[in-house]
Amino acid sequence: MTNMTHDELSRLLYAQPIRLLHRLAKGQVPRFFRMGKHRIIQTLLDFPPNHRARLVADLEAMIQEGPPPKPSAKRPARLKAQEAPPKAKAPTPPTHRAIDHPLEPATSIEELLEGIGVPIAKIFKPDPWQEEAIAQLATNDVIVSVPTGSGKTYVAIEAMRRAIEADQTVIYTSPLKALSNTKLTEFSQIFGADQVGILTGDRRYNPQAPILIMTTEILRNLLYDAAGGEIDLRIDTLGLVILDESQFIADPERGVVWEETIIFCPSQSRLLLLSASIGNPDEIADWITSIRTVPCHLIHHRNRSVPLRAAYLDPSGTLSPLFRTKDITHGKGFTVHPETKRLFTDYEHQTTGPRYRR
Amino acid sequence: MPPAIHPVDLIQVLRNKQLTPAIVFFTSRRACDEAIDSFEHRHVPIPPKRMAAIKKVLEPIIKEYPSIAHHPFIPIVEQYGVAAHHAGHLPSWKIAIEELMRKGCLDAVFATTTLAAGVDFPARTVVITQSSVRKAKDFMELTVSEIQQLAGRGGRRGKDFVGFVVITPSPYIDIGHIAKGLTGNPEPIDSQFVTSYPMVLNLLKAHTIDHIQPILEKSFAQFQLNQRSNTFETKLDGIDQELTNYGQRECADWITQWQSFELAKRRRSHRFVKIPHETAEVNARLSFLTPGRVVALSREKAIVLRQYRSRGQAHAMLTVLRSRGRIVEYPAGSVTEVVDQVIDLVEIKSFPWCNAASLDHAIQMLEELPTRVRPLPIRVVEDSSEEDSAEENSVLTETLNDEFPCPACPSRHACRKDHAPALRLRQEGHRLTKTIHTLRTELWHRFQQHIEVLQKFGYLTPNCQLTSDGEWARHIRINHSLLITELIRMEAFDGIEPALLTGVLASIAIDDDRPGSYPRRSSGLGSVLKQVRTVAHSLEAYEDPPLLRSDIAAVAEVWVADQNLPWSKLIRMTSMAEGDIYRLLARTLEYLSQVYSLKATHPSLAEVAVNAMDLMRRDVLEELP
Ligand SMILES: Nc1ncnc2c1ncn2[C@@H]1O[C@H](COP(=O)(O)OP(=O)(O)OP(=O)(O)O)[C@@H](O)[C@H]1O
Ligand SMILES: [Mg+2]
Repeated sequence: MTNMTHDELSRLLYAQPIRLLHRLAKGQVPRFFRMGKHRIIQTLLDFPPNHRARLVADLEAMIQEGPPPKPSAKRPARLKAQEAPPKAKAPTPPTHRAIDHPLEPATSIEELLEGIGVPIAKIFKPDPWQEEAIAQLATNDVIVSVPTGSGKTYVAIEAMRRAIEADQTVIYTSPLKALSNTKLTEFSQIFGADQVGILTGDRRYNPQAPILIMTTEILRNLLYDAAGGEIDLRIDTLGLVILDESQFIADPERGVVWEETIIFCPSQSRLLLLSASIGNPDEIADWITSIRTVPCHLIHHRNRSVPLRAAYLDPSGTLSPLFRTKDITHGKGFTVHPETKRLFTDYEHQTTGPRYRR
Repeated sequence: MPPAIHPVDLIQVLRNKQLTPAIVFFTSRRACDEAIDSFEHRHVPIPPKRMAAIKKVLEPIIKEYPSIAHHPFIPIVEQYGVAAHHAGHLPSWKIAIEELMRKGCLDAVFATTTLAAGVDFPARTVVITQSSVRKAKDFMELTVSEIQQLAGRGGRRGKDFVGFVVITPSPYIDIGHIAKGLTGNPEPIDSQFVTSYPMVLNLLKAHTIDHIQPILEKSFAQFQLNQRSNTFETKLDGIDQELTNYGQRECADWITQWQSFELAKRRRSHRFVKIPHETAEVNARLSFLTPGRVVALSREKAIVLRQYRSRGQAHAMLTVLRSRGRIVEYPAGSVTEVVDQVIDLVEIKSFPWCNAASLDHAIQMLEELPTRVRPLPIRVVEDSSEEDSAEENSVLTETLNDEFPCPACPSRHACRKDHAPALRLRQEGHRLTKTIHTLRTELWHRFQQHIEVLQKFGYLTPNCQLTSDGEWARHIRINHSLLITELIRMEAFDGIEPALLTGVLASIAIDDDRPGSYPRRSSGLGSVLKQVRTVAHSLEAYEDPPLLRSDIAAVAEVWVADQNLPWSKLIRMTSMAEGDIYRLLARTLEYLSQVYSLKATHPSLAEVAVNAMDLMRRDVLEELP
């Protein structure tokens, strides 16, 4: 019955109790426990065809098996074997989607390499989080902590655009001169060369431009000078300060500069912090909220916009999946693919053999 | 160390599986460069069409940055579609490689992990060959954040449906560590706030001293310290609550009162009978074990001659008379029974503890004792604690009575019972209070330490205003600022040549300890650096001295001194990598520009600095802002 139609499957799913649906969704549908029955079913139905076959197989297995034993249910057979029932450890319901469950077949290298290709170039539609960040900046400070390559620059550019339209000055800082130079090229192409300036320790190019690029140290020094009464930049028209790669606040030597910059950032300027994934962006947002005149809105997610998969390349040239699962899971532990485990053990065995031993 | 797989084979596999373009992370710059070289040996060129495409992209970049026109790697990049990208290369070279990568012209870039730190540089695949990196002088495991930032470059938005991270072994790899990094949660970040002299001067320029603490309190450092101290404060509240649960006592500070009472008691008690380690049963018997008492030992009967306690001994001891006139010592605990019979003895103060007549009498009595004797019933008070028996010692109580209300106080039983746990709680409370205080004032304390140093050196007045020296010194906002401002104040740079000033600042700016070969330094540089070294040493207590390497300084010096020296020749004068020389000069430029910012107060020195800057800016150093 594996080749069920969409409608048949849909009916079958709706006929199941929510408990079974939860078991089915576990490990496949993120946050299934927060969804209602309807949304779980819709998500399951949206699975690509090759996934669907497995889904149906699992579903049928579960229906046959019946409901999992309730944690409190007594099992007479066991009770006989052991004098007293063990106090803790209620029998856990079988979890079909536990990462290392033997029933789930490990992925294959073919499956892992599926779908490589180049999408058709088109003007993209911004993600909801990008729009949210830009909208929030109208009234709030914003910190964006999303994975590498998600499109944080888009947020920066759109925010700059709005600031310029409102006749404000924008300062964009990066931790490295090299990155400043790349951004100078990028922003000049978008806004026009006359709109972008760059300040370095010893030089100023186009310092009257509405967008100024500099390293965070240079901005900190400007803010020192402004506080000391030597205003040589238009701090009063400064509407937006963007700190890119702001995870540098954790740098042992330079981190203090980011703190100073945030503390001394003029209150009329909005702050936009762009950061790679960090463990406690909420704490940073709370901190900034506590010292600034407007709240700091946090935008944080861990979803990769381009899915990332992991492989192991044996020195012999054999490629195998790194994990049992095709995609990299987060925060649920992991199981190394059996093939990779074998290959790596062999490799270690060889390299620690007599030939390599010192 | 290179990975176990040959770089050419690695790229071949990636090409076959359509996993290019790729960024391959290696542990060292050398491994990256050697990988590129190995493509030439194996000679597997890319199709001519792609070679042409690379040439076309490179052309305008070379026009903009002539310094890379004759870069030795250009032919390899064009023929094999691979490149190296690391801190040893010039920024202009790195820009060229990044552009080629962005245009999709390359199959692979071999890079060190420094690339992870924010260069805009994605690929379809990221190859990781190591699980640790060199940081400072040590190899350190990559953090979860670092692993995710490296791997995250795999899969370009808009150019890939899916991205890959490929792990391949090298001697520096722990696969489990990388797997954990890929699937784990990034570490929370901690504030790295440090106070510096320029910070103190600049804050005190803009604010009066009583406004500083509120400013420091705005730091992320203080925010995190407060969070920690908040959890301690909750704990402290709990302790206070527990302490009040002990209720009202006769005196307000009963814990201290009882503690000093206890102390006094202990100090004096050695003069009195103290029975610390006996069982209740033995304790109860002790008062009956007086001279002349008949007792039963395990096998026979005996008569007590004396009870004593020798110094430092825990147990009460008995000297007893046993059969056949033997006089023996026993711990009081070895008495099995106290007999209801006392023999009259005349005690004396030395062996055998009674006079001869008494002793004879006793020996005789012992022999005549019936086999069955009547034991003396003794009531054992089970819970009679140490203090009880001590308190019952009336002599002790009397002497303490005058000084302490405790012995007669109605709260005394409660105090005795609660004292130990309450004292422990109170000590914990004190500890927490101290910790909280430290957490709340740590930053301010360190700031004050810096103020004291700046006052000592005359940059700040006693009431924390900037002196005339402080006014200009606050413009020096780089590492080793104290050393630089002190050198300026002692006029060490008066009449200095631009090349020499450049050399000195270079030696302060660069903290590179790699060995290598360098151009010969001038004798002038040698003698100035000797003076700088003395000053740096004298400031050691206030500021870590820089390395002050004269050989590295000579590179910067010769670049300014010899205006006809082209870049290509300079790099042949030293074993330093091109990128490192560039960084050295760029940093020195920044230091010079800080000296130049003192033009209002030190016009002639600023003049030298700006001259040096002009002399430095040529060739490669003119290419980028
Ligand atoms: N909503 C979108 N849809 C499709 N592509 C997008 C979208 N937003 C941005 N991009 C593209 O994603 C790519 C990566 O973006 P960007 O460089 O801003 O990433 P980032 O978040 O700054 O990463 P990093 O952490 O490396 O700095 C860019 O080429 C950009 O054009
Ligand atoms: Mg970015």
